[in-house]
Amino acid sequence: MWNEQPKVKTNQRIESMVWIFVGMLLFLLIRLWFLSVLETSLYQQKSELNRMRVTPLLAPRGNIYDRYGEILAQDVPRYAVSFLPGDVSIQESREKLESVLGRHIDDRPQERLSGEVLLANSITLEEVSRIEEANRKLPGIMVETQPTRVYPAGVSASHVIGYIGRISEMELMNLAKNGYAGEDMVGKSGVELYYEDILRGEKGFRRVEVDALGKIVRLLDYHPPRFHNSLALTLDREFQEFCYSLLEGKSGVIIAGDPRNGEILAMASRPAFNPNALVKGMTQEEWQRMVDDSLHSFTSRSVQALYPPGSVFKPVLALAALEEGIVTADTRTFCPGFFDYGNQRFYCWRRSGHGSMNLVDAIAHSCNVTFYNLGLKLGPEGISRWAQTFRMGESPGIDLTDVNSALLPDPRWKRQHIGEPWYPGDTINYSIGQGFVLLTPFDVYRMISIIAARGRVYQPQLMSQVLDNRGEVVRNRNPVVEAQLPVADSSWNVIIEGMKRAVRQGTGTACRGLPVEIAAKTGTAQNPHGEEHSWFGGFFPADVPSVAFVVMIEHGGGGSGIAAQTARTMIEWYVEHRGGAS
Amino acid sequence: MISSRLTLILLTLALTVCGIVAVFTTDPLRENGLLGGSFYGRQIMWAGISWAIFFLVSRLDYRWCLRLEWPLYVFMVLSLLAVLFFGSGDEMGARRWLFSRSVQPSEFAKVAYIIFAAAHLVQNIQHADEWGLYIKFCILTALPGVLIFIEPDIGTSMVFVALWLAAMVLASFNWKKILLSISFLAALLPVSWPFLADYQKNRLLSFIDPYRDPLGSGYNVIQSQIAIGAGGFWGNGFLSGSQSQLRFLPARYTDFIFAAWCEQLGFLGGAFIVLLFILLVGVVMKIAREAPDLEGKFLASLVATMLVFQIMINIGMNIGVMPVTGIPLPFLSYGGSSLLITMVAVGLVVNITRRRREDD
Repeated sequence: MWNEQPKVKTNQRIESMVWIFVGMLLFLLIRLWFLSVLETSLYQQKSELNRMRVTPLLAPRGNIYDRYGEILAQDVPRYAVSFLPGDVSIQESREKLESVLGRHIDDRPQERLSGEVLLANSITLEEVSRIEEANRKLPGIMVETQPTRVYPAGVSASHVIGYIGRISEMELMNLAKNGYAGEDMVGKSGVELYYEDILRGEKGFRRVEVDALGKIVRLLDYHPPRFHNSLALTLDREFQEFCYSLLEGKSGVIIAGDPRNGEILAMASRPAFNPNALVKGMTQEEWQRMVDDSLHSFTSRSVQALYPPGSVFKPVLALAALEEGIVTADTRTFCPGFFDYGNQRFYCWRRSGHGSMNLVDAIAHSCNVTFYNLGLKLGPEGISRWAQTFRMGESPGIDLTDVNSALLPDPRWKRQHIGEPWYPGDTINYSIGQGFVLLTPFDVYRMISIIAARGRVYQPQLMSQVLDNRGEVVRNRNPVVEAQLPVADSSWNVIIEGMKRAVRQGTGTACRGLPVEIAAKTGTAQNPHGEEHSWFGGFFPADVPSVAFVVMIEHGGGGSGIAAQTARTMIEWYVEHRGGAS
Repeated sequence: MISSRLTLILLTLALTVCGIVAVFTTDPLRENGLLGGSFYGRQIMWAGISWAIFFLVSRLDYRWCLRLEWPLYVFMVLSLLAVLFFGSGDEMGARRWLFSRSVQPSEFAKVAYIIFAAAHLVQNIQHADEWGLYIKFCILTALPGVLIFIEPDIGTSMVFVALWLAAMVLASFNWKKILLSISFLAALLPVSWPFLADYQKNRLLSFIDPYRDPLGSGYNVIQSQIAIGAGGFWGNGFLSGSQSQLRFLPARYTDFIFAAWCEQLGFLGGAFIVLLFILLVGVVMKIAREAPDLEGKFLASLVATMLVFQIMINIGMNIGVMPVTGIPLPFLSYGGSSLLITMVAVGLVVNITRRRREDD
């Protein structure tokens, strides 16, 4: 057993602790006395003043317009009913409201921070007037407008425009310092996300005075919620919708833009999702079905999906070879239909061979053997360096988030990621856009538009103007020239002539005979998961290009027929509706 | 003369009843009825469970509990680590719960720590004067204490600090060590400021001047003082009072239940609760003084410390003398874990009175 010494000591300490504890609790009592007895009149006054209720009102967002002022996204009001609990209970007032509306309300009452209860989420304009008529019978009930986002272009522009949704916990943690709160809607993808700072509006509030029973006596003040800025995009909504419709029943991408300034006219990716359904809110089940979708509808194939480019990649090599002095415009290569390297044989797509041809014809007929030769002389590093000159593998600088960048392989990459040395066969594959190289359709589009602009590199852009809430232009975004590639004019002539000839008599004859001259390059990309991907990228009018485009159809099959056919319909529409020669 | 044990049980009963009444008067779902998922209905259910466990604990031998010192300690630290890695958070980003907001390990940790501290210090009481025991004890306290602080649960970590200091006082550590601990804590304050979340900084600044952000972080403090002040001496009457009934007062059935209570029942009602608490703490300390062994003395005094500091922090923030830290008021605030843990702690104290009788 212990001796008694520690017990005595502990008891002494217990006694002193008792005094401290009782002192602390008595202090609470004294402070309570001050508050509730001595200062009570002051606080009763404050409690009277407290009859003021502040209700925050959700902020609307700015609109999004296309280049002609057509609406791509806008807020329309939706009406909701809220209720201030007072002498009438929630249940009672809900029943009264149901009898006035003559229908059952499904929404669960939601209590808000201000003490109000949201009774009904969405009522019609006609029901609003019925409530206002029956105002006296409905004490404490208020109608409020809540902004709802609508996307008139719907599914066809969903990846570019994006959608908005209730702020998530993660976003709230990052954004709380910018004044966001729990009920706010924020951009979740596309332009809505990228330009969140410009589009977001300012919350408003309403202050009402209520009597001791919670009935509204009068409106004290009303600070309407508002938005500050709208956006005008470079997109052409009608063209965008047409491009999307061209992809009906397929998976693929169409991108078109103006090579003279970097403006994007259309960027369609299919399959896509319906942003209007997302904004309206969906059940867990519907959401899950969308996310699990095996077609990846949420993926913006234009900027997020990576594909082997196949032969559309060949202009990069042609230009590189000319500029590095490996070939001249007159150098001829003989294509017997195959190419032997060591004990391996690599075939041309035309087994019977192309015969002897110069570089222009090699581009026009997409002769693999010629490009095998060029590729081996350039080496993988040389090819990648020139691909980077065409802005592949770099951040593409477009005003969208979550953009993927190209994979440009070289020996170091292969050692690191595959753990094998680089073989000459890898270079041979690389030189016709096969093997490890992967590009987004947007990478290919940029290459095409740089060729169309003869080496002038514009920053691609979706946004053209910022407008204020009266529709006045606040800021114009001017074309930004990133660089002028130091490439000889003669080299551009060879490439462009090759692409013109491809349409006249080469692999792209599907686009022959249109009212404008087209310069284009086809591509058929082998892909281990099934049928080949079909590419077609070009520009028109060939000599003074005003539109550059790329069409990519997943599993479109060989000969790039489907992509070229699709491009033809697209060009016909464009020339008819927008004019082609300007 | 009523025995200490009976007094303790009667006080506990009175406080539980007050708690149910308080939750009833502030229940936002009161209209749902007793069994319809109303908060007071659930509180009654929890009271039933807590009383059953209370009687069970009061019959267990507390000396047997003390033998669980290390398993309890390890379990406490593991559950706090689990919160850190798998916990679910609240709107403010504080992670305090396990199993989707049903279990709050920091509540359990308080009692586990009390048992651990009592057992550990009593076993080593001969070494009370040595620095080795002091340092070891500090480290063993810091581990769970820091885990709770970074959840963050500042209220509960304040209770932890109080328990730590009280345990050292009880173990007759000399004043030099206790003063060193206090100055160490004081030095920590400015260092920990950058680690606080924005909302916590706001709460602390709002404590100094609630009107710097009257609709934001200062709102609770202002509204609860208005509620208590408007209640006056007699109160606005049962189930009346615009602050709590008209929902101006946030968290009126949890952290700010005392303010809602005072608005309805005035100074009289509030003082009644504080007096019940004073009696409760007094009788627990009396049991500590009369306990037959050091273990009993430590356990009872630490339980009293826990109660006093929770009361002080909660009522203190209700009346504006403490910053808002979100800690429940024992017995009164709505919440199962809080009630259960408080009853377990009081049950341990009842158990000590039983030992005394047997020893006599």
